[in-house]
Amino acid sequence: MWQVLRDLLRYNREFAVGVFLLSFVILIAALSFLAPHSPLDSYVVPPDLPPGWPYVLGTNSRGQDVFWQLTCAIRNTLLFGFAVALISRVLSLVIGLIAGYAGGWVDRALMSVNDTFIVIPLFPILVLFYFVMRDRMSWMTLALAMAFLGWSYDARLIRSVALSLRAREFTETSIFSGMSMRQILIQEHLPYVLPIVFSTTMNNINWSIGLEVTLSVLGFTDINTPTIGVMIYWANQHTALVAGIWWWIFFPVALVVVTFIGLFLLAVSMNEYIDPRSRLGRVGA
Amino acid sequence: MSEGAAPAPVLTVTALRAYYQTRLFGIDRDVRAVDNVTLHVNANEIYGLAGESSCGKTTLIKTIAGAIRPPLKVQGGSVEFNFHGRRVSLYDKNAPDLADIRWRHLSYIMQGSMSVLNPLRRVRNSFVDFAFRHIHKPMAEFLDTVRAHLLRLHLQPEVLDAYPHELSGGMRQRVAIALATVCRPEFIIADEPTTALDVIVQKGVLTMIREVQREIGSSLIFVTHDMAVHANLCDRLGVMYAGRLVEEGPTAEILREPRHPYTAHLIASLPRIGDVAPKKALEGTPPSLADPPLGCRFHPRCPLAMDICKRENPQMEWVGPVHRVACFAAQPGKRQ
Amino acid sequence: MTAPLLELSDVAKVYSIGGALFGHRLRAVDGISFEVGRDGPEIFAIIGESGSGKTTLARMILNTAQPSAGKILFRGADLAGMRDRLGFMRQVQPIFQNPFEAFNPLKRVDRYLYMTARRFAGAATQAEAGDHADRALRKVGLSLAEIRGRFPHELSGGQLQRVAIARALIASPALIVADEPVSMVDASLRMSIVNLFKTLRDDLGVSIVYITHDLATAYYISDRIVIMRKGRAVEAGPARAILDNPQHPYSIELKNAVLSPDAAARLYGNRPIME
Repeated sequence: MWQVLRDLLRYNREFAVGVFLLSFVILIAALSFLAPHSPLDSYVVPPDLPPGWPYVLGTNSRGQDVFWQLTCAIRNTLLFGFAVALISRVLSLVIGLIAGYAGGWVDRALMSVNDTFIVIPLFPILVLFYFVMRDRMSWMTLALAMAFLGWSYDARLIRSVALSLRAREFTETSIFSGMSMRQILIQEHLPYVLPIVFSTTMNNINWSIGLEVTLSVLGFTDINTPTIGVMIYWANQHTALVAGIWWWIFFPVALVVVTFIGLFLLAVSMNEYIDPRSRLGRVGA
Repeated sequence: MSEGAAPAPVLTVTALRAYYQTRLFGIDRDVRAVDNVTLHVNANEIYGLAGESSCGKTTLIKTIAGAIRPPLKVQGGSVEFNFHGRRVSLYDKNAPDLADIRWRHLSYIMQGSMSVLNPLRRVRNSFVDFAFRHIHKPMAEFLDTVRAHLLRLHLQPEVLDAYPHELSGGMRQRVAIALATVCRPEFIIADEPTTALDVIVQKGVLTMIREVQREIGSSLIFVTHDMAVHANLCDRLGVMYAGRLVEEGPTAEILREPRHPYTAHLIASLPRIGDVAPKKALEGTPPSLADPPLGCRFHPRCPLAMDICKRENPQMEWVGPVHRVACFAAQPGKRQ
Repeated sequence: MTAPLLELSDVAKVYSIGGALFGHRLRAVDGISFEVGRDGPEIFAIIGESGSGKTTLARMILNTAQPSAGKILFRGADLAGMRDRLGFMRQVQPIFQNPFEAFNPLKRVDRYLYMTARRFAGAATQAEAGDHADRALRKVGLSLAEIRGRFPHELSGGQLQRVAIARALIASPALIVADEPVSMVDASLRMSIVNLFKTLRDDLGVSIVYITHDLATAYYISDRIVIMRKGRAVEAGPARAILDNPQHPYSIELKNAVLSPDAAARLYGNRPIME
């Protein structure tokens, strides 16, 4: 494993750049633990200072240090994205693999549920969800809600792969080797869908962060937990761009873009190495 | 050379080497899929190329067809066509534009005819796409030519109005053959065109290939692993093993009296209806082309292997007027 | 009076193609009856071209598809009422057409051997499973040392097909269903597989249902054959008698279409002629 990672870093530029960008983002998120003030406190520093020393990314109109605010916001945004992706991946994997393998009425039942979720309009549901939850809305409940709404496309994709795997001869060999359905799904089929899961995870993080930012900017989330979206929300509330406080919006947006690019590069380069045929075949190891 | 003192061959391949090269993770690897192959194909001749999977026959065909894509690379040697006096040398400094030659002078019959016939368009359109610009006639006359050609191949002209999926597998392969021959090319490359077909259909398709080849007098290189097909179709036969040509000669002579132990095994192990004598299997497996054994590549499996086979690489030498073999045991004067 | 190992009586399989309104029904297998292994182990060949229903028939014998009509009895018990799936697999094992597809390309091949040994041969530890695997591999001319830790792409087609046979043998089955087992194996390795089937029958007492389109190998190894066309049996009986002297027009056509490797040798001096 470490061998593979080392080779990847050495010979695959996309992977190296992706790791570098993501490490940078994670480092910034980690710095939030060293923040001198709580991200919720306001008027702890002089307001509206442009980037410089000692406030490297400037300060905002609420008297908060943009840099420390950003560390905390990116941490929460990353956690949010990973939580949504993790929960929805598990759902889509379990449903997609079982539907594809079992076939018949199991497949039809699961896929009719799946198709229902595909046609549900997401945004109105989430806004409705906010109005129902109101003060009980936290980023965790929003993450759960989005995970339950975000698995259906990928479940269908995974099912289609599972269907073709079911028809391959090695699945029959596994059955006649006495493997149980659980063993076949986890040990035989999962490795084939993992590359899909990896790249859709990146898409899913992308989607959930984007949606969270949208909801936050419009104020349909818990605006007391600082995330990238909430930062932009407050900046808009204070008409930061009109007032010329561009750094309040520019740095959060830039950091999200860096995060997206890093995740994307990782997804692209990882795919190649999940398949031992290409790896072993080429290296001859 | 079954024609006696024949004119210049249509295809001459000289000392051709084509390797798959990978440079990855700091490790260089060469897969020598075609290693020093020399052969020629005469006018009006069917040349059979036999060999197992990954013996390099498909790579050789790709190289002859000019369909080279990385990581495959031609390392040396030449491939030269002679289209009625017009010499065309691939892999030369002034190599020609292949688009001018394809279908007009050089055409293909592949295993999956679907790769030639566009599944979304009627068969007629495939003919127009490939052949119209080579047959210098107005569209109506062109279609008449195509219909006449189809009739000659016992195909109803109505197939022109069909979509490929409406035809059976054997029918599609016949249409692919008609497409490959309608411009009366001098040279046709057939790569396992009957492998996926049922035996009854296969026989019909082979008969058709034979007929159309006689009719338009082109040369054909026919690749298959099935020795029985070669026996029934080809004038001359070349046998490849591990990237090298090991034996070449008139088909009948090779089948009757194979000189290379590998060829001898292939022929002896063919099961025949009416024959229940136990057939012996050849031990071992073909070598990896990334790391072939030193000397003769067949020696680890060869029942006749001698010391020299482990050290030196046998060259193709004449053992008859038109029969060459690369084996020390079969070459007089080389025994030790 | 003992029941035959395998008995098919009037087996049919109907597939519905298309929707309920405009679809039609395809009789993939239509009224097939035969017995295998009444008088000791034998190799029984099912011969047919593509679309003859031979693979559907194989799936029904392996109990991975259920017949629409008729009965399949294994040792006198109807497969339709089979409760003990693992017990059935202990006695009936498959071999597939494409050796490169028979094992997961992402996994090492030996895991299937260990798994089969644990499930069907009573191996409790990894070492015991290894012993079972090694013994089975030696029966097919390989050894565990040669294939331990190997991925499928590191072995040749012939080796993989022999590993597949070894895996089937670990369960000590009474019947092996082999669907086109040599059609994708290289010519120089093909006879080693075919000869192995003979050894299995003669030395290990395993009956084999050999499904193929190749009349020549069927003639070479099988005891009895059935020739299928479009789901129906057109001719059945002792292999050599039928192939030497086929009676049904389709069987005759099939036999005449087989290309003889001796054609050119016989017509030496002329171009071979194809009628």
